[in-house]
Amino acid sequence: MNIWNYIGGSFKKTVSKSFVCALSFFAVSSCDDYVTVDLPPTQLTASAVFEDKMSANAAMVEVYVKMRKTGIFSGTSSGVSVAIGAYADELDYFGDDTKGISFFYANALLPSFGDVSTLWNNSYSQIYGANAVLEGIQKSTALLQTDRDQLRGEALFARSLVHLYLVQLYGATPYITSTDYRINSKAAKMSAMDLYPKLIADLEEASTLLPEAYISTDRVRPNRFAARALLARVYLYNGNWAEAANEASAVLNHTDLYRSVVNLAATFKKQSTTTIWQFMPGVAGQNTDEATTFIFTAGPPPLVVLSPSLMSAFEAGDLRKSTWTKAVTKASSTWYHADKYKTKGNSGTSVEYSVVLRLSEQYLIRAEARARQGDLIGAKEDLNVIRTAAGLGNTTAVTDIAIIDAVLRERRVELFTEYGHRFFDLKRYGTVNAVLSVVKPGWEATDSLLPLPETELLVNPNLLPQNPGY
Amino acid sequence: MNIFSLFKCKWWIPLLLGIYCFLYTTKSLAREKSGIPDSHWLSSSPYHMLGMTQSIVITGTVSDSQGVLPGVTVSVQGKSTATITDYQGKYSITAMATDVLVFSFVGYTTLNIPIGGRTVVSVSLQEDATQLQEVKINAGYYSVKESERTGSIAKISAATIEKQPVNNMLAAMQGRMAGVNVTQTTGVAGGGFDIQIRGQNSLRAGGNEPLYIVDGVPFASEVIGNSNTTGVLPRSASPLSIISPTEIESIEILKDADATAIYGSRGANGVVLITTKKGKQGKTQYTANVSRGTGTVTRFMDLMNTQQYLEMRKEAFANDGITTFPTSAYDVNGTWSPTRYTDWQRELTGGTSELTDVQTSVTGGSQRNQFYLGANYHKETTVFPGDFNFNRTSVRGNFSHASEDERFRANFSVGYTMQGNDLPATDLTRDSRILAPNAPALYDAEGKLNWENGSWNNPLRLLYASYLAKSQSLIANSQLSYRIVEGLDFRTAFGFTDLRHNERRTNPSTLYNPSLGFGSSYSSLYRNTNNRQSYSVEPQLDFNRQWNDSKVSVLVGGTFQQQEGNQLILFADGFTSNSLLNTLAAASAIYVVADDASQYKYQAFFARANYTYKDRYILNLTGRRDGSSRFGPGKQFATFGAIGAAWLFSREAFLANNSILSFGKLRASYGTTGSDQIGDYQFLDTYSTTSNGYQGITGIQPTRLFNPDFGWETNSKMEIALETGFLKDRIFLTWAWYDNRSSNQLVGVPLPGTTGFTSIQANLDATVANSGTELSLRTVNLQKKDFSWTTDFNISFMKNKLVSFPNLAASTYKNQFVIGEPINIKLLYHYTGINPETGVYTFEDVNGDGVLTAEKDKKTIVDFNPSFYGGLQNQLRYQRLRLDFLFQFVKQQNYSNDYIFARPGLLSNQPVSVTDRWQQAGDVTAYQMYTTSSNSDAGKAFNNFQASDGVVTDASYIRLKNVSLSYDLPQNWTGQLQCRLYVEGQNLLTFTPYTGTDPEFKTTGFLPPLRMLSAGVQLTF
Repeated sequence: MNIWNYIGGSFKKTVSKSFVCALSFFAVSSCDDYVTVDLPPTQLTASAVFEDKMSANAAMVEVYVKMRKTGIFSGTSSGVSVAIGAYADELDYFGDDTKGISFFYANALLPSFGDVSTLWNNSYSQIYGANAVLEGIQKSTALLQTDRDQLRGEALFARSLVHLYLVQLYGATPYITSTDYRINSKAAKMSAMDLYPKLIADLEEASTLLPEAYISTDRVRPNRFAARALLARVYLYNGNWAEAANEASAVLNHTDLYRSVVNLAATFKKQSTTTIWQFMPGVAGQNTDEATTFIFTAGPPPLVVLSPSLMSAFEAGDLRKSTWTKAVTKASSTWYHADKYKTKGNSGTSVEYSVVLRLSEQYLIRAEARARQGDLIGAKEDLNVIRTAAGLGNTTAVTDIAIIDAVLRERRVELFTEYGHRFFDLKRYGTVNAVLSVVKPGWEATDSLLPLPETELLVNPNLLPQNPGY
Repeated sequence: MNIFSLFKCKWWIPLLLGIYCFLYTTKSLAREKSGIPDSHWLSSSPYHMLGMTQSIVITGTVSDSQGVLPGVTVSVQGKSTATITDYQGKYSITAMATDVLVFSFVGYTTLNIPIGGRTVVSVSLQEDATQLQEVKINAGYYSVKESERTGSIAKISAATIEKQPVNNMLAAMQGRMAGVNVTQTTGVAGGGFDIQIRGQNSLRAGGNEPLYIVDGVPFASEVIGNSNTTGVLPRSASPLSIISPTEIESIEILKDADATAIYGSRGANGVVLITTKKGKQGKTQYTANVSRGTGTVTRFMDLMNTQQYLEMRKEAFANDGITTFPTSAYDVNGTWSPTRYTDWQRELTGGTSELTDVQTSVTGGSQRNQFYLGANYHKETTVFPGDFNFNRTSVRGNFSHASEDERFRANFSVGYTMQGNDLPATDLTRDSRILAPNAPALYDAEGKLNWENGSWNNPLRLLYASYLAKSQSLIANSQLSYRIVEGLDFRTAFGFTDLRHNERRTNPSTLYNPSLGFGSSYSSLYRNTNNRQSYSVEPQLDFNRQWNDSKVSVLVGGTFQQQEGNQLILFADGFTSNSLLNTLAAASAIYVVADDASQYKYQAFFARANYTYKDRYILNLTGRRDGSSRFGPGKQFATFGAIGAAWLFSREAFLANNSILSFGKLRASYGTTGSDQIGDYQFLDTYSTTSNGYQGITGIQPTRLFNPDFGWETNSKMEIALETGFLKDRIFLTWAWYDNRSSNQLVGVPLPGTTGFTSIQANLDATVANSGTELSLRTVNLQKKDFSWTTDFNISFMKNKLVSFPNLAASTYKNQFVIGEPINIKLLYHYTGINPETGVYTFEDVNGDGVLTAEKDKKTIVDFNPSFYGGLQNQLRYQRLRLDFLFQFVKQQNYSNDYIFARPGLLSNQPVSVTDRWQQAGDVTAYQMYTTSSNSDAGKAFNNFQASDGVVTDASYIRLKNVSLSYDLPQNWTGQLQCRLYVEGQNLLTFTPYTGTDPEFKTTGFLPPLRMLSAGVQLTF
């Protein structure tokens, strides 16, 4: 029998209505409409972010939050204050031998270590955030010029800061200025020599874009002087002594904003007038991660202590030793922990923020830059400002070499546990091998650079070769 | 272990049931003695001559070689009258005295008995292995007779699931289904399982999950937990643990294109069809089942004792030239006693997990209305010290109805489950292996946690941090069908799911070394709330028609599915007190880690056309057009389809009634499927908020690296299979060969960190082949009245291969993939032994440049895919005693102990085997010299050793996976009551060359699967 006739016949009689009904069910809505979803209520399209000052601002501050919480600038044990402090001669490590910092402390890093790639990845993630802001405001049509300038200045500043640390830690590293993964995944290395001019240009631009006045209370957003202070450091690292001194002066001369320390105990308080730029904690009342990481109340030490060689570098009567370090004694053993930040956890109202750039460094930059240019009197003046604040007499150094060495010594006891200064200073002075090979049994000449992460070399051959010694 | 410890706690539950059972039995025995007849065997009844044209009521009992048979269909030949035997095998039917009664039951030879005027007709049915071919197999949208299916479908039923003391339905499948590889990820209750159906198709994490369908309703299997909260489990909590295995009637796994193409975009990784228990026609039947059991670690590792350990430490320092032990070397510098010894494995994971299972159900109904009501309770404690447990309570109901003319049918099922998991926030297994054997006592003299002056992290501190999860799940579905005309049905399936999951993890400040001086302001809490609701509507038209030698069935239908999900993750810290950790109100700061809402919409049209000619040539066409909101505009739709064919050559004239070959079928299929398991909104370029505040502003960041251009991945599947039955199907062999190819795979393409991300979602221009052979053999070895023995064997061989990858050398996969090799290989250094002079590990320097570098020297390919796996199951019955046991076997490689443990010499315990170390020049040993220094040659070599093939070992195993022994008390004792006593065991014996804790287990640092033993009683009346 013919099946189609059968169906047709049936339709006419009993089923036509129900069949039409059924078919209409299938066509209840057109396909495209049904599978189109609205934007999730918790997300914002990228283009909309930079059409509004508030959301553009939120994208920028997220970069600072990431810097405070993860990677190089973190105050936890994964940041350079601890890791590079232990890698150089600032800290002795007391924790578990299987943990990441133990390998920094032993100068036994390998390209395959997670800590090596985490520092790297977090840094480039922060750079991506800054680049996303730069590209976002470029495409924006609604943002006011003043807001554009502010955000562009900040993003250039943040991007430069991270790049500067990367090149110090890993040597030649990619300079990333775009968010395009197709370009960035093939990025080639750039040596410090080539990178510094780029950073200088970025920071020059930032310092023209950023206003002199802070747009925030408590100096948690960078202003023009933050850019210039960082610029002073880049010039110094690059051997541009005159420019370094000039930029430092530009900051130091602004005595309405920045006043020299009188009380060391107030240096790291959130309202300190020696602070140029600092990270704000995430929640009201919270204090710094640094305090949590460094302070301990009973021996044996749970994590790190200030190394005996650092403790012996303090001259007798140095107020910094009594104010910024603290002894913990158990039986015959005494250990010291960094006590720059004194308040742990939440104190209702925050007392301390994490200071990234502060005035003392600018004095020391200018002292060194002046000495290297032959301005020995000016150099000694700057050095003595720092020594006086520490309750010490004027420096006894006379020759330029002696003054330059005195600056290095002063930097060590002034800037300890602040973002790895000591290690970078030793490298800059060319004494890193001489100094560290004495106190660090595992030190090798090639340890002045960290290994490039193995995971990175495996996916981007443009980063080859690996740093020597790894 | 002592079996009597099973009833340590609440021992009275099974005891009471046992007593009840006994009382009932004696009562029945008494009745029997009093002369009440027993009607088990074919009994000749008195012959009453009655009027031939008069309707009479015929009663009787249907039995088989083992006893009465409930559920047998008794019908009158040529008439529509039919009934079903009740639980006692009894029936009652009205017929003419001259009629013929037809007794039919799946798995038995149908019997036609002329009434011949009798009023009592009792029969005994013969089991018929060939009848298994008549079983209807659920293929999702349709069902098909086993003999006529064109696709590859594996099935396990309640009878198999119920024999296993497991808490997860995936566990019940282990070793029982060809082509289905299930591995347990943790021995902690409530933890997950990994499942792969015919190998790894996708490189994407979570991209290999099959589609789960519960009673026709898609059940989203994406994780509901969060890594911040679910730290104790190696994978974030999975919703699959919510489905109680005891509620399941059958699980069917669809494997090939013919079976899965009707699921289109979601069928690439196979489909798991879960059918829950349904109402059965007949007298109301009550079932109660109670069991209790215990679980223990299958074996501990052989670790160093204090003497061996301290010898290692001292030798390591000596090797490094260190004569004064450092302050932090508490184990050797005199801080800890050199004579103390604690077996930390026994101390921390040596407890006994207690299991309790209670199930009750009622089922029954008339021919047109049936119901099922069931309730289940499962509780399981942990092997860790402390009071922790996993529990699940569920209720389920099923109702079905047919109108008087049987044109309208309705079926409604609803299941509600509550699940709780109260565990320590951290698995203690890792600590139990690495703690020094002379580490201090857990408690001090005052009974407080001993920190030994801050010189160690007491492992019991971890118990202060708790993981608490509560989930509720509701799954409801209804099916309404209407027969428009004979052969044409309109059917609509509605499904609804509602899943609510709450979990929290506390981190009290007491977790930290007291020398850090942390107070409750350092205590923190993570909370994760995840809700997921979905509905689906599937209208379908089903047409069936048979004429002459042809049989046609056509199905067309559509799917409209929508799922809404939202997740809120909070982090709080700065608590007023550690006793107030569970209330956010006591926190000084609350951070919103994530507050996400998502919507998933899915629409499809599907069709199936099946044509059968002369009952032996079958053609099956399936297709589906899919649209998914997970893809960007213009890429939402894709079409999938398959063709399947089967030839039942045993029905050809030349083979008909062949005395040896009883069944023969050749089938083949080819088709395409896809996968949209990529998460929602991946194509959008958006910013989302973070938990971070700065200046009172909440930060926002790009949600992902933006790539709008990704589209569907496709998976083509080919299969050829031969099914043959011999000697009335007493030997039944299925052989299947498949070759699946996935291309255009959607993966997270790895990126260098310089991009700010580590991967981007994109289509991969590569083709991956999964091919393999599956063999299943079922033999009925013996079938006698008192004794029967059946064996099931399955084995799957598989091979995963990267077939092509254009421009591999220039891609970021350059150092990850090798063409012709599996996609999940590891490229490692090649270990070349210990230099007998220096005592340090050596490796092959492939490019001979004098240094070992990952990109140049990691060239040794190691494949962790199993090369074959399977199971051997035996079912033996002697009268009322049944014994089932399953051996599971896997041939594979895995990382050895040396991959898991830290460098020998450090403050961390080691396996005893590590004592075979190099000490002086000329030593030939298994391990290099001990060292404490990460910078010594040996220290550096150790890191390369862990990245070499030296730490890869054979992890093949044969495991006595399951044993179940049960005894049915004779019905002539118990009368109305059926009482079954049983003992079950899981993971009882393992034969393996692997020296780690468990060869099955792939996740390090977590508790391996436990050995379970349980005993119980099942009552039915």
